[in-house]
Amino acid sequence: MKIAKKLLMQLLLTFLSIILISGLPELIMNKNVSAYFEKVKTVFIEMLRFNEMTYLNQGIKRPFLEDIWEPYFYSLTILFGALFIAFCFAQVLTWGTLMLPNFLRRIIKNILTFLESLPDLLVFALVQMGIVLIYKKTGVLVSNVASLGAEDRIYIVPITCLMLLPFVYFYKMMILMTEEEMGKQYVETSLAKGMKRLYVLVFHVTRNTSEGIFHFSKSVLWFMISNLLLVEIIFNIHGITHYMYHDFRPEMLAACLILLVIPFFLIFALFEWTIMRYSKRSEAL
Amino acid sequence: MIAGLIGASLIFAIFFDSNIRQVQILYDDDMNMIGAAPFNPSLMFPMGTDALGYDTSMKVLQGAKFTLISVIAIGLLRVCTAFLFAIPLAMYTPDRLRKSLEQLLSSFYFVPLTIVAVFILTPVLWEQLRMPGWEEYFLYSYKARVGIEILVLTLLVVPLLGSLIANLIVSALKEDFIEGAKVLGASKWRVFSKHIMPHVLPNLVIVFCQQCVQVLVIFIHLGYFKLFFGGTDVDYNPYVADPPLSTTNEWSGLIGDYYNLLHANPAIALGPIIMFGICIYAFQLMAEGFQRHLDTRNVMGMKKRKIHQNGYADSPRINFEFLYKRGDYIDKKL
Repeated sequence: MKIAKKLLMQLLLTFLSIILISGLPELIMNKNVSAYFEKVKTVFIEMLRFNEMTYLNQGIKRPFLEDIWEPYFYSLTILFGALFIAFCFAQVLTWGTLMLPNFLRRIIKNILTFLESLPDLLVFALVQMGIVLIYKKTGVLVSNVASLGAEDRIYIVPITCLMLLPFVYFYKMMILMTEEEMGKQYVETSLAKGMKRLYVLVFHVTRNTSEGIFHFSKSVLWFMISNLLLVEIIFNIHGITHYMYHDFRPEMLAACLILLVIPFFLIFALFEWTIMRYSKRSEAL
Repeated sequence: MIAGLIGASLIFAIFFDSNIRQVQILYDDDMNMIGAAPFNPSLMFPMGTDALGYDTSMKVLQGAKFTLISVIAIGLLRVCTAFLFAIPLAMYTPDRLRKSLEQLLSSFYFVPLTIVAVFILTPVLWEQLRMPGWEEYFLYSYKARVGIEILVLTLLVVPLLGSLIANLIVSALKEDFIEGAKVLGASKWRVFSKHIMPHVLPNLVIVFCQQCVQVLVIFIHLGYFKLFFGGTDVDYNPYVADPPLSTTNEWSGLIGDYYNLLHANPAIALGPIIMFGICIYAFQLMAEGFQRHLDTRNVMGMKKRKIHQNGYADSPRINFEFLYKRGDYIDKKL
């Protein structure tokens, strides 16, 4: 119960900070603090009357809530798909890598440092060019490079684009953490007992690194939401950031950000709760 | 160990070197009949030229000083303000209050930086149009624009970074020697300046490098949204509007200018982005090299000490002959 209260507090505070931030352009434009608070107040009231919000679509006012759900879930699919795939790939590959001899691992780590520093825009450009190149060489269109309108949905390309860098981040982080964990004594003990290396890795080490990875994934997600905006604009995807970017009002930004935040918040809360329970139980044992 | 560090700083030094070489502005306007303006990368034009025949690599080099200096400035400012913010948080707030404050600050994890930066900076950096006279104007002067951009990019991360650094300080405070110092009567200030600072400072260098990487990434994003460092020059000509131009040739401006040419001629668009990539890599190598130096610094010292210890330890063992004899005995028996 205490945890639930704390989480609720945090959720409300997140909303509050979003609303406060969304008023900032007004402050900068008018150089006037009272106008800023006025704006914050209107945004706040607008948020309370969420179901009556409207947005401008080619000059016509339309109700916001009716139109937002489909692009919203579309964006969420892309985001979660990318996050999930990146995580799974990274985990499996980490297990694979940890079985390799030391010098190979060092090479892989160096390559990862290099990959990590690729700017995201470059990755998107390369993916686009790669698809075009494959099409030119073989005549096989892997996937559409850009979506053509609201009805046309593409999944593979944006998910790949969003997935690549988080995958590299996860992979590197997991290798580092797992290597650190492998130096601990319980690993030595279990290896000495004759347990297989892979078994120790999958069942013992992974469980202990999971908490660190979980905290790390927050910052990965932070980075991914920013990237989502870029991806949706580059590939002309009709997602939630479309509304955010084309109707550039504070109310709109606040509404979209809050909508984006809610599912992630819930998932993180769930994970945190499980981890807490888990670690408490093991402590009791 | 230091090879990584030297390598990274070398890459970095090359940038500053080329900066100096760059002060005279060089335009390579090719008037020969060999080829038309957008050249592909070759020996003469390391990154090709853009549609108007300007040498991209020269443009990149010219812009490098603005971008890199501002990146380093923002990185430094971020770390310094966050550090100032972290000191009272770590030293003077009780544990429970700090934990709940941390919870509060972690709500910033859900506010994506690029979106917010784009949103806040648009009125500042985008040239406005005053309707009656078709007058183009900026809301702020050039210096104010740069100042506001640096300020916004700094302040948005201070809460997260502050709690990160506060955690570093707290973990240093929990070490045993702090207890020892306190028992010996060290004041809070002395504990902080003599014991905490040497511990935290090297870590701050690493954090600084990471922050620089982050700033570079944000510059790329802002560049894509055509919000250039120091202001975007928008042409409101209703007939044939020029694309938005960067007022200086700094890199995010180059990205914004060239990215849409990706489909026409990839070489033009990729040049500046690749330069960004190299920079990010350099910062990352610096961080990694420094980390390795920190990790192995104590080990190197220990090795020397161990050798000394072995020197002492060896001599009495020779006198202790019992083991050897017994070993011989067993050997013979076998």
